Amino acid sequence: MANAFVAAFEILSFGAIIVLIVLGLGIIASMMGIFNFAQGEFVLLGAYITYLAYAKGLPIWAGMVAAPFVVGALGFVLEALIIRRFYAAPIVAMLGTYALGLIIRESVRGLIGGFYLTVPEPIGGSIDIGAMHISAWRFTIIVITLLVMGGCYLLLSRTSFGLRVRATLENPSLARASGISTPLIYGATFAFGAALAGLAGALIVPVFSLFADLGLRFLIQGFVAVMVGGVGSFIGPVAGAGVIGTLSAALPWVMAPVVADVLVFVLAIVFIKFRPQGLIAGKGV
Amino acid sequence: MPKAMGAVKQAIPAEIGGDVDAAVAGGGTAAKAAAGRKVLPIVEGVVLVAALLAPLVLQDYLTVFATRVIILALFALSFDLVWGYAGIMSFGQALFFGSAGYGVALLARDLDITNIFLVLPAGTLIGLTFALLLGGFLLLGRHPSSVIFVSLGTLTGSYAADRLARGWYYLGGQNGIPSIAPMTLGGYEFSEGPAFYYLVLGILIAVYLLCRFLVRSQFGLALAGLRENEQRIAFFGYKAQHLKAIIFAIGGAIAGLAGSLYAFHEGFVWPNMVGVVVSTQVVLYVLFGGSGTLIGAVIGTVIVEGVSFWLSDNYRDIWPIILGLLLLLVILFRPLGLISFVLGERERVGSFGARVKENVKEKRNAP
Repeated sequence: MANAFVAAFEILSFGAIIVLIVLGLGIIASMMGIFNFAQGEFVLLGAYITYLAYAKGLPIWAGMVAAPFVVGALGFVLEALIIRRFYAAPIVAMLGTYALGLIIRESVRGLIGGFYLTVPEPIGGSIDIGAMHISAWRFTIIVITLLVMGGCYLLLSRTSFGLRVRATLENPSLARASGISTPLIYGATFAFGAALAGLAGALIVPVFSLFADLGLRFLIQGFVAVMVGGVGSFIGPVAGAGVIGTLSAALPWVMAPVVADVLVFVLAIVFIKFRPQGLIAGKGV
Repeated sequence: MPKAMGAVKQAIPAEIGGDVDAAVAGGGTAAKAAAGRKVLPIVEGVVLVAALLAPLVLQDYLTVFATRVIILALFALSFDLVWGYAGIMSFGQALFFGSAGYGVALLARDLDITNIFLVLPAGTLIGLTFALLLGGFLLLGRHPSSVIFVSLGTLTGSYAADRLARGWYYLGGQNGIPSIAPMTLGGYEFSEGPAFYYLVLGILIAVYLLCRFLVRSQFGLALAGLRENEQRIAFFGYKAQHLKAIIFAIGGAIAGLAGSLYAFHEGFVWPNMVGVVVSTQVVLYVLFGGSGTLIGAVIGTVIVEGVSFWLSDNYRDIWPIILGLLLLLVILFRPLGLISFVLGERERVGSFGARVKENVKEKRNAP
């Protein structure tokens, strides 16, 4: 019983991490039609900023709060300078963002060297429920993921900003004709997606420690999750992330980890082949 | 720049229609080609002569390095066929490269088969088989797959293979398969050096000529059309998906050939060889050199590998950053790669129309 509970918690917590990482990726893919290969590096940057704050002697949570804002600002600048040129061509956008990601990743690698740097958990210790212990920080990540997910949903579905974003997604020329500044909306959406990646990086760095290929590790999983969930809506990629995250964490409990690792990807690709629109089809929230 | 691009875009349909000179004359670099001089054979000739002479002037350790570059150029050729000609973004080309490498490494380790006439066809076949399976699955089907799905599907395939190779004890796990026996021809062992260099150069030239024939044929014309406007080609009655699957399989076979040569040249295979790192490396080569020209892929490989070899002593840390910046600049401002500085758009697409025109001229002059 206790084992099953711990397993369930592990699965839930990994699923939450994947959801957190995919949120930004999904918003950019769904709302802008761009598969952002630099997203993994935005995660890395968030993690790096948190580490910097810790190394400079600031409280860790200060770094975690700063990370999304810094990464979001960077995303805004990059969108205005570079990403904006790629909207017409999705493949070129992939290559361009890949190049961007390469620059960021190698810069960070140059700054930290080839090391694995650890950042302690801001909320350490464990939560005891009877005889069972679960990590307090992983529990916090789950809670924050739920809050951020809910916040994003409300932002996109209930606010006027969300309405503008969705209008720009559905029909850019009509949106422009209605007086919405679509370039600004694209910029803001990209910055928002980048900020979410920065937040994800900041939150997961105590769990995975900081190394230059941190982002790359999640990028492909993230892409697969977005495709499984379905591009075009907010809920789709989140649902996909839930499925992929849960599967990747759950399968190793029942079979050899190597097989499980590969099986998740194979299952996902087969699923997408036969249901290209994903779990949740359609545009909107 | 945008003006030149506009002229280029117009030039493509006009050219297939046969009326060439008038349409192309407007483009900046394209104007050179329109003057009647052919740049492509000159570039190819220069590269060939340089490649033939290289071992005579290079020191031994540089010849070994040059051999590696030639093998990678062969690999780049396979990606160029798939992306530059058919417009399929294969982010997982290393899957075929690496699986063939692992395949021949296992042949050499477990069955003691190192005969060149067995291992190279075996590697090619492995690449072909994997490409047929993956390409057939991703590209064929009742509904045409989106470009995004194909590119992410190949990327995922390569990543999954990387993870599998890392975790599978039989394949050596993280360390890969070290100290593969050298390739043999009768009693002769191919070790690193000039002999190996000329072997791979000969193979590269043979494959290059084969590809050149392929892309200049009717099949190649259909592929170029596929890249420019898939729907139109489908309306012409071509089975676009089949064409794509065929070229994907051919690309896989060439990548397999390159992978088996690479395995024997380096003497070991390791998981990166099937993974995302090498897959993206080959994308870099081709984008730098110029996709859609075969020689562009070769030149791109030589430049990227050469400069990184040259810089790696002093600037090891910042070289990847410079590479990323250069790549970004190329994508933004020179989408046709470095070769487009000397090569006009007309020559890049090929001279299907010109040949017809020459025939017409001959006929006119005949009576």
